[in-house]
Amino acid sequence: MSTDLARLIAERQPAPPDPARLLARLARRYADRITGHFTVPAREGRYAELPAELAPALRTALQTRGIRQLYSHQAQAWESVRAGRHTVVVTPTASGKSLCYTLPVVDAALRTRAKALYLFPTKALAQDQVAELLELNRAGDLGLRAHTFDGDTPGDARQAIRLHGDIVVSNPDMLHQGVLPHHTKWAQFFENLRYVVIDEIHSYRGVFGSHLANVLRRLARICAFYGTQPTFILCSATIGNPREHAEALIGQPVNAISESGAPVGEKHVLLWNPPVINADLGLRASARSQVTRIARAAIRAGLKALLFAPSRLMVEVLTKYLKDVFDHDPRKPARIHAYRGGYLPTERRRTEQLMRSGAVDGLVSTSALELGVDIGALDVVLLQGYPGSIAATWQRFGRAGRRQQAAIGVLVASSQPLDQYIVRHPEFFRDAPPEQARIAPDQPLILLDHIRCAAFELPFVDGDGFGPVEPAAYLQVLADSDVVHREGQRWEWIADAYPANAVNLRAVADGNFVVVDRSDGRQAIIAEVDYSSAALTLYEGAIHMVQSLPYQVEKLDWDGRKAYVTRTNVDYYTDAIDYTRLKVLERFDGVRAGQGNAYHGEVHVVRRVAGYKKIRYYTHENIGYGPVTLPDQELHTTALWWQLPQEALDEAFASRQDALDGFLGAATALHTVASVRVMAEARDLMKSVGSGDASAFVERDQRGRGQWRAAEAGADAERFTPTVYLYDNYPGGVGLSDPLFRVQAELVREAAALVDACSCRAGCPACIGPVLAAAEDAAATPKAQALRVLALLRGP
Amino acid sequence: MSALVEKLQRLRREAGVRQDAASPRGGAVAAAASAVPVAADMAGARRRPDSPDAAATQMPGAAGSPALPAGSADAGAVGAGRRPLAAAGTTKLAAGELASRDAAAAALPSAAMPVARAVAELARLRRLLDLRPARSLAPRTAPAPEPPLSGDCIAPGLYAIERRYAAVATAPLLPPRWCDGAPVARERFLCFDTETTGLAGGSGTRAFMIGAADWHGGELRVRQLYLTAMAGEAAMLDAFAAWLRPDTVLVSYNGRSYDAPLLATRYRLQRLADPLRGLAHVDLLHPVRRVYRGRWENCRLATIERNVLRIVRDDDLPGSEAPAAWRSYLRAGKTTDLLRVLEHNRQDVATLARLLEHMDQNATPAAWLTSA
Repeated sequence: MSTDLARLIAERQPAPPDPARLLARLARRYADRITGHFTVPAREGRYAELPAELAPALRTALQTRGIRQLYSHQAQAWESVRAGRHTVVVTPTASGKSLCYTLPVVDAALRTRAKALYLFPTKALAQDQVAELLELNRAGDLGLRAHTFDGDTPGDARQAIRLHGDIVVSNPDMLHQGVLPHHTKWAQFFENLRYVVIDEIHSYRGVFGSHLANVLRRLARICAFYGTQPTFILCSATIGNPREHAEALIGQPVNAISESGAPVGEKHVLLWNPPVINADLGLRASARSQVTRIARAAIRAGLKALLFAPSRLMVEVLTKYLKDVFDHDPRKPARIHAYRGGYLPTERRRTEQLMRSGAVDGLVSTSALELGVDIGALDVVLLQGYPGSIAATWQRFGRAGRRQQAAIGVLVASSQPLDQYIVRHPEFFRDAPPEQARIAPDQPLILLDHIRCAAFELPFVDGDGFGPVEPAAYLQVLADSDVVHREGQRWEWIADAYPANAVNLRAVADGNFVVVDRSDGRQAIIAEVDYSSAALTLYEGAIHMVQSLPYQVEKLDWDGRKAYVTRTNVDYYTDAIDYTRLKVLERFDGVRAGQGNAYHGEVHVVRRVAGYKKIRYYTHENIGYGPVTLPDQELHTTALWWQLPQEALDEAFASRQDALDGFLGAATALHTVASVRVMAEARDLMKSVGSGDASAFVERDQRGRGQWRAAEAGADAERFTPTVYLYDNYPGGVGLSDPLFRVQAELVREAAALVDACSCRAGCPACIGPVLAAAEDAAATPKAQALRVLALLRGP
Repeated sequence: MSALVEKLQRLRREAGVRQDAASPRGGAVAAAASAVPVAADMAGARRRPDSPDAAATQMPGAAGSPALPAGSADAGAVGAGRRPLAAAGTTKLAAGELASRDAAAAALPSAAMPVARAVAELARLRRLLDLRPARSLAPRTAPAPEPPLSGDCIAPGLYAIERRYAAVATAPLLPPRWCDGAPVARERFLCFDTETTGLAGGSGTRAFMIGAADWHGGELRVRQLYLTAMAGEAAMLDAFAAWLRPDTVLVSYNGRSYDAPLLATRYRLQRLADPLRGLAHVDLLHPVRRVYRGRWENCRLATIERNVLRIVRDDDLPGSEAPAAWRSYLRAGKTTDLLRVLEHNRQDVATLARLLEHMDQNATPAAWLTSA
């Protein structure tokens, strides 16, 4: 009897949530959808004592916060930094990276009032860090003064921070525009600056990274003026070349610590292909439907799930679908939350806190959570679509994991060719090393911008270097345009200008839009939208969602940067229809390229939002259109392009479609080798394939085949000159395309070599871009077609 | 408008050159480009080596002159580029750094290489910026005779000048909102004002002129310091510091938030102690605003001076034109406008002294309220 009762009670007890059970169930029920399953083994923690020489107050504070020992990498970092070596720490998310710099920085602040500068890529991360420091401060009553210093810092607080801050937490943009040009006001700070901490260095790649490297060169000049040589402590998520990247950023040798001592549980990674729902058309179910299904199963099983959606809109849609299931009772606290850029900072802080406390069961996010925001432990991470890089995928999966339990990461493929390729070839994903971070800090136009800023900050004297660069030629150009004045050995700033304001480190225009809720006579700001996505999300008639609550945009004040919305209740959401067009304004130069030509010149890129679709929830049917009249997003920039005459193509290819596919493949290979050559990120150097007169453009359709899209009515697709454009994705250009044009023949040769040497048979993302399953068996493979096009551009 | 031209014009704006003065390339090249269809490009291909080997030499920083459609301008750039560089004696330019980037070095005679390199680098930068070097290299000698500078050269690059005016009153003055309410001996006041290279702020903005008025030996003394070369800055800052005593009371118009911080920056950059720090400082802008806001179109010193003190200046150079005046002296030796800045600054500090007397709190407030 008593045993029966015990058994009954035991059966009534809910089973403790166990990811392994969910994993087994998924594997059993959806074996046909799981195309790849691999396991990252668990790792025991490796620990070290708290360093004996740690300041006693800091030791007490750490112990009060429950830290009685260190992970091995934290102890290594302490040794390395204390030995005065620049150090980069490369360990996964949630491995206690911040303690690697907190220990030496706080220790030095307590002993000698030495100062430290922290740089984070976003304001949110900076605020997190200050909150963490202040908790440590309270725990040990350390008397530490740590402050954020960014665009939001009130004017009256700035003076106090400059004079008395021990740890100033800022971002590269603020250092560039607000600190270095006013360095004399920071004299005490720079005179005592011992450490510079740069976290998330994997996010400083391409042009942004090149800018940061130059900002750091300016910082080094100013430190030298005040007689200091700070030690750099850098942190990075996993990338292919962390030490080289850190050294390129700071221009000095760096010691790399890459063995994490933090314990991790076993992690299972699943590659998931949605089932075919229409065999005739080869249509698959949407990635969104699969992600919601797995998320429902995980949350029902009592697991904490994090969903990465590909866009802000999709974050809201997924949130709504999960809320419909789990949050239908408004009296209970919400179990599902959304997290993305564009929410007010206070709201994001609240969500992070709820997440850490375990009150949230499902969190839906954009790439915003790739960075080190602390949200506590999770069991399941779901990716709707491939994020585009191996490194970003692992970073997202890194969010899942507890010490004792297995964790699950699922990559659900969309119908995009790249996603489909990856689920079809799991070994490609498993074996590919994470991408390398690349920067080119000596790129002339970027250098010129920063030498100008540097000359404003401190005069150049003959013989001064700028990093490894001899700046004389640049200073001469600045002198010719009356920006600096040469007198004796010195180049002195003379212009009436503040040059840092004219140099943006990121390719984003200023001017956030605020979303104002005017329901029931209120006037409350409910969201912020950055300039670049305003046209896509705040057009009049748009349904703008915040935590999946729909608001309708009633009025958009473009110049005033405001959108007025009211609460609404509709069963659809809206999606903007936009297209991009490229037009050649001017040719600077041209040469023969095989049977075609290569050019260098100036182009005009226009992005226009033409209208929007209304899409009904759940059925996803299109229930109407609306017009949008907004200013075009224009970009004037420099480009290089190759084109082939129609006759040459017709001669080489049996069909127009083959020629197009070959051209698209060749364009992908050219884009890859060109990006590597100028050390650019994909977002810095853009690719576009179209006709020579820009009357039409080629895009891959849902199935990966090239399709003509006429940009203007009446464009004649019969007469065309296929052209591949590579352009600088920065207003005015940042000088990528000019050096590329001068080595265009080499680029064509390298592209051909890349495709030729690739071990795939028909083509793959590493060479000509993903190819269709059908094409893998075709006689004339897309790879061969791409090689034929490259041969035409290369000539005999 | 061309993107590169925008970049150039940004540079020019910084230099204070009016936009329309710079009309680079645009017309000529647009015409050239439109007249260059594929046939002409093939001619371009012949002109430009583009066999794979030759293309390899076209790396960044290579010496090959990049061919522009407007080829003559480019040749000009190379020719003109050599002159300032040779004069500057920077022939060792970037040799190592460029060599590492560029294996094509062997193609050039080694002795001429660094200079040729530097010239090519300059020409390439200019092309990127669309700059025509010849335009900006204006000769330093002025065609029309300019009046001589006034004052004495007291150090290399530094001039000083002093004027004295009869002072009518000698009584102590009580400045507005003075801390202890006790009048201050006139001799302790120093009314000062700076003329600067711009309003942008930050460490790149400097004062090229400092004027100060004080009561000395029964007269109003106006002393001014100004730079004729950047090299005189340290001497100017030293000379100004020597005018200050520990009990000096500074008097300014917006000097608390503008002139004093700017000078603090300059002292810091010259590694000198800031002598203004710790001195009492009466900024008359704030009391003037309290009394006169809304009575006249604005509270600028010139407006107050005209309406309150009944002083009318003739041929006054607006303060906003002072930066350009000094730059044109530095670059072209033009003294006319610099002398007008000197006069403007002298008037400003003299007015400050008059305004301080006018706002003496020992006088009845009604007196200065009704003076207009």
